[in-house]
Amino acid sequence: MNDVPLLVYLGIGLFMFATGAVGVVVRRNPVVVFMCIELMLNAVNLTFLAFARYAPSPLVPPGGQQHTWMAGQMAVIFVMAVAAAEVAVGLGIIMAIYRLRNKVDLDEMSTMRG
Amino acid sequence: MQNPIFDQVWWVIGLPLIGWLIQCLFGKNVIQSLGPATGKRVMGSIAVLAIAASFAIGVMIIQALAQLPADQRAVSRTLFDWINIASIRIPFELRIDPLSMTMVMVITGIGSLIHLYATGYMAEEKDYPRFFAYLNLFVAFMLVLVLGNNLPMLFIGWEGVGLCSYLLIGFWYKDFANSKAANKAFIVNRIGDVGLVLGMGLLVSLISSNPAAVAGADGRWLSYDVLFEYLPSIVAANPAMATAIALCLFVGACGKSAQFPLYLWLPDAMAGPTPVSALIHAATMVTAGVVLLNRMQVVFAASPVASSIVVIVGLCTAIFAALIAFGQTDIKKVLAYSTVSQLGLMFIACGAGYYWVGMFHVITHAFFKALLFLGSGAVIHAMAHDQDMRNYGNLRKYIPITFITMVIGWIAIAGVPLTSGWFSKEDILHDALYSQQAMLGGVNIGMYAGWIGFFAAFLTAVYMTRMMMLTFWGGQERWKLIPAHAGGHHEDHHHEHAHAHAHHDHGPDTHGFFYTDEELAKTHEEHGHHHELDENHKPHEVPPSMWIPLAVLALFSAGAGLWLKGYKAFPSLPKDTLEKWLEPVKYAEEKAHGGAHHSPIPFEQFITPIGYWVGIVGIILGVLWYLRGLPKAEGWDLARWNPFRRAAADQFGYDRAMVDAGIEGGGLLGTFMWKVVDNKIVDGAVNGLAGAMGVLSKGFGWFQSGYARGYALMMLVGSVAILGWLIYFFNTTGGRS
Amino acid sequence: MQSILSWLIFVPLVGALAVACLPDERKDLARITALGTSVLAFLLSLVMFVNFTGKSFHFQMVEKVPWIERFGISYHLGVDGTSLWLVMLTTFLMIISVWFSLYVNVKVKAYMALLLLLESAMLGVFLSLDMILFFVFFEATLIPMYFLINIWGGERRAYAAVKFFIFTAGGSILMLVGMVMLAWIHSQKYGTLTFDLVLIQSSIAQGDFWVGFLQLQAIIFWFFMLAFLVKMPMFPFHTWLPDAHVEAPTAGSVILAGVLLKMGTYGILRFILPLFPDVIGQFVVPVMVLAVIGILYGGIVAAVQPDVKKLVAYSSVAHMGFVVIGLFSLTQTGIQGGAIQQLNHGISTGALFLLIGLIYERRHTRLFKDYGGLKAQMPIYSALFLIVMLSSVGLPGTNGFIGEFLALVGAFQAGFAGFNGLTVVLPAIAATGVIVAAVYLLIMFKDMFYGPNTNPENQRLKDIKPWEIAMVAPLIVLIFWGGLYPNTFFEKMDASLNAARLMAVNPAGQRPSWAEPTHEITAKGQLVEVAPRENLWEGISVVRTISEGKLNFEPDTTLRAEATPK
Repeated sequence: MNDVPLLVYLGIGLFMFATGAVGVVVRRNPVVVFMCIELMLNAVNLTFLAFARYAPSPLVPPGGQQHTWMAGQMAVIFVMAVAAAEVAVGLGIIMAIYRLRNKVDLDEMSTMRG
Repeated sequence: MQNPIFDQVWWVIGLPLIGWLIQCLFGKNVIQSLGPATGKRVMGSIAVLAIAASFAIGVMIIQALAQLPADQRAVSRTLFDWINIASIRIPFELRIDPLSMTMVMVITGIGSLIHLYATGYMAEEKDYPRFFAYLNLFVAFMLVLVLGNNLPMLFIGWEGVGLCSYLLIGFWYKDFANSKAANKAFIVNRIGDVGLVLGMGLLVSLISSNPAAVAGADGRWLSYDVLFEYLPSIVAANPAMATAIALCLFVGACGKSAQFPLYLWLPDAMAGPTPVSALIHAATMVTAGVVLLNRMQVVFAASPVASSIVVIVGLCTAIFAALIAFGQTDIKKVLAYSTVSQLGLMFIACGAGYYWVGMFHVITHAFFKALLFLGSGAVIHAMAHDQDMRNYGNLRKYIPITFITMVIGWIAIAGVPLTSGWFSKEDILHDALYSQQAMLGGVNIGMYAGWIGFFAAFLTAVYMTRMMMLTFWGGQERWKLIPAHAGGHHEDHHHEHAHAHAHHDHGPDTHGFFYTDEELAKTHEEHGHHHELDENHKPHEVPPSMWIPLAVLALFSAGAGLWLKGYKAFPSLPKDTLEKWLEPVKYAEEKAHGGAHHSPIPFEQFITPIGYWVGIVGIILGVLWYLRGLPKAEGWDLARWNPFRRAAADQFGYDRAMVDAGIEGGGLLGTFMWKVVDNKIVDGAVNGLAGAMGVLSKGFGWFQSGYARGYALMMLVGSVAILGWLIYFFNTTGGRS
Repeated sequence: MQSILSWLIFVPLVGALAVACLPDERKDLARITALGTSVLAFLLSLVMFVNFTGKSFHFQMVEKVPWIERFGISYHLGVDGTSLWLVMLTTFLMIISVWFSLYVNVKVKAYMALLLLLESAMLGVFLSLDMILFFVFFEATLIPMYFLINIWGGERRAYAAVKFFIFTAGGSILMLVGMVMLAWIHSQKYGTLTFDLVLIQSSIAQGDFWVGFLQLQAIIFWFFMLAFLVKMPMFPFHTWLPDAHVEAPTAGSVILAGVLLKMGTYGILRFILPLFPDVIGQFVVPVMVLAVIGILYGGIVAAVQPDVKKLVAYSSVAHMGFVVIGLFSLTQTGIQGGAIQQLNHGISTGALFLLIGLIYERRHTRLFKDYGGLKAQMPIYSALFLIVMLSSVGLPGTNGFIGEFLALVGAFQAGFAGFNGLTVVLPAIAATGVIVAAVYLLIMFKDMFYGPNTNPENQRLKDIKPWEIAMVAPLIVLIFWGGLYPNTFFEKMDASLNAARLMAVNPAGQRPSWAEPTHEITAKGQLVEVAPRENLWEGISVVRTISEGKLNFEPDTTLRAEATPK
């Protein structure tokens, strides 16, 4: 279980996050941007899980109750739920804009007006 | 004091007020339903009756008052508390005493005569009820002024008569010149009113800080009985305050009584109908200043400095106005300046400490000046509303009653012995000569004023003779030969005439308030509400409603002096009636009396002969001068006038300078404040702040590109920066700050 | 009866909501509802008036409900002599404004709703006794007024509305800071955080509230004063007023001149005098100098205006100067004069704007050059205008005189006695403002009514209709009533104004306290201790008790007989 060192998880997480961040900034297709955001969220999830496993919170006293060990996992569940909601809303918006303009380009959505 | 007639004193004021209400509410309807002729007769009678009834009640009250012992002749009646707060109480109260009742007699007596006259004079006027409404209201306010038992009530009347004067001067409001004259009258009067307010403020401050008064006055700081009781000791202990208060009150008196720095409004006020000039601007309102000085003599008597200033101002006014009168060609203007000059004489008397003498001249002047004004109204009436004396001449043939009565007025004002004017003027100048009251730095101002006063009296006789000669003697070709204005060919002098007329009819105030000459000229054309003078004109004597008042006034102008003063040659006449009557209202111990017959003055032996002859000599000189009609040097051609007369016609530039300074200076200042201070500096500061905000927001606005990617990048950079700082922070401090 | 003041505030609010819910096309219904609501509010204020006794300076008909308890903020209402007449003036002028607004034909519903909203907020200002509540209402008046100017205004309405909003909102921000500081000091000294004006004033009256905070007192004084100076407005914060007046619709101008400006002077009476007794003396001269400048400046600038509404707006600056002169003289006469002057200014300037509105509806111009010679054309209108103008000039016999005269006399007394470094020079200069007032008002009258009537547009004008006369008539009656029998007004305010004065001038411990039922003011304006409340006190609405070092505050429902000195 402890074969893979923590650093590897963190490295993969960092790579995923950086990829996502760069993607958000440089891509103009909102769908791709969404995927990049997902990538960033999952990078964070990965780090959460890794820390939950390797470095439990110092706040929890040794021999504390079982559920306190699950803080990291809980955070991940939250993030996934939020991400799902976000995608649902975001894709809805993108569809609406597509219907309106037949084109989805982030740079053309620079004003708040329709 | 228990006499029930005193309780009826409210009717003295109430009746004119009721008359006013009737004119306001029903006047138009009555005239519409009864037709103009009957309607006007009805409304005119109501107006006259209101004042006459008020006069009758006044007579009853004055009889009741005379039956009281002299030291109890001050009765007051309170209606309700006007202002009643913790620190000051001003009731609506009237004071019945010799001074107020004397003025009531003058106001309602002469007032009803003038009302009667006005029913005839204004018969052709469309706005008949409006005129009488204003006139009745004026009488009511004037009565409040003299009857009120405290200074604020006097002030109600004071401003109220100013208002009525304003309304009546601007009665023919379609002419801008009239409304400008009205504005000028009100505004210049306001300057005086501020003086009065300042005086009242100081009086309240002074009295309410005096323990004895606080204990006894019950907050009625400004009531006369309180003032008379506590003020003598207070001002005696505090002469500087006495001077300050006296000067403030005197500013008020100057405004209302048209004294030197503030006389400007009175000549322009002649724009009003002639009965108004007689009632307001000669007989009653302008004497309010003298009444005020009589009322507050306790303050003036305590201050030789203020008294001296009163004398100096009075003297300057008397001489200055008399000189200006020489340059006037408008008959009403001559009388207006004469009024100013006579008021100056009254102030000399008051300044010299003989307040009752001031009142004496108020009364006699009211008779002969009202007579002269009404007479001039009759002349104007006869001459198709032309007021320029150069158009008159030989009128004694056509309007004999007017002529005879005016002659009586003329000799009275000129001071021919035994006329009323002679008595009062003699008293003024004699008392001034012997007075010790007006001492300024060891110089007896009163004495010099007395001597110079004789010169003023001489001038009066001369310019009044000029007016009479130009009007009633000389050739009638001056008006017979004027071609009709509509006529095709104008002679040269006619152009001059029209020009001069345009300027002199309305006084030198051609600026008015904020109007240009062109506008004035335009409005002037519409002025003629009557037909013009032409060769077919024939003057008519006035109807009885107009000459009866003239006759009554002439009787009093001739006899009032003998009646009120007595003369040594007629031992059967009672002596010094007026002085004895006014004795109870002398609150000032007259320092002047002490010196009256003890300390001799230089050239004493000349005083009596000069007094007898000065008026007669003036008249003779005048007659000689103007016997042959209108001199060339006073004709239509202004260029041929001698420099003195031209300067006099222009009021020596004083009016022009003041009006220019006031209007143009005020206008410039106002515009500067508005356009520069308000719009540039104050708003500029605020707008500058707003501008700075704008620049700042533009700078920030650059970040708000609207590109989602940009925001994402900024978030990234921001988070990295914060993270970096946190790492740096924890590394350097180990987490402990 | 228990909650008459709440009714008073919320009836217009409910009316506003009701008007807003009406269908768009029912203009008449909106008008009737608004008029009915304003009449109802006036009737309610009459009920309040009848139940009010002028014998006590304490707050009456008090309501207190905790609002945000942890910050010591409560919904606390009460009325005393200072606010009574302002409430009456508000409800009264509102009827006339709504009545006049029957002329409005654009977006009637919104207009009426905003007017009623404004009424509700203004009444809230005059009735609230909690500083935060006061502030909320104070700011809430801006919103309806902003829209009234911005939607129904003249040509430059957007500029005027924004200027109005920014000036007044900006001025009052610091007041909020001052309020928080007061509450903080209270919590430092007494352990309880409270924004209750009555509690804070009572602590100040006891004397140790400001000990150690003298510097801060001066700063907070100016924080409050700035808000009120802008609101009144005083030179040099007055420039929003002419623009706002000129652009506002007539009803807006009437309310603005009649009531909104009074919030500034009311603030002085309610906050400045009672709360800053230790520093007010040293600021009397600077404030008076501003007022005197305002009087002359407003008057002189008014005299050159080509626009009649602007002229009247600048005249307001001058007239409000007299109010400040009176109030800051800190004499009985002056404070009474200032207080009555603010009412009279509301009446006469309100009436002036109303009359100008009447002619504006006919001719759609406010420039003097378009008028002239109206006197022959409209005799009744010109007579009414003359009366109102004379009241504004301050002719004795009209209400304008009483306030100006008493304010000046009070200032003279203060100057003569040398209170607070004052001399008679300032009041003397102020008095010359009366001349200037005559100048600009007479010019206005002459330019509009005298002279020949040459403009064909004007020759077609007819005199005003009976219902318009009926609209102006109550104001004319009040002008004469206030001028001939002002005691009606003084009777009710006497005690409160004298108390406000003693709060400012008496040394600590001898100041009247709003929360001390044994304090009472005699007819001569002296503070006396009166008998305990059990047997004698009636109608006093609030009682302050101290138990365990904590201040308690409870409404008192027992009725009180006349206070008698012990």
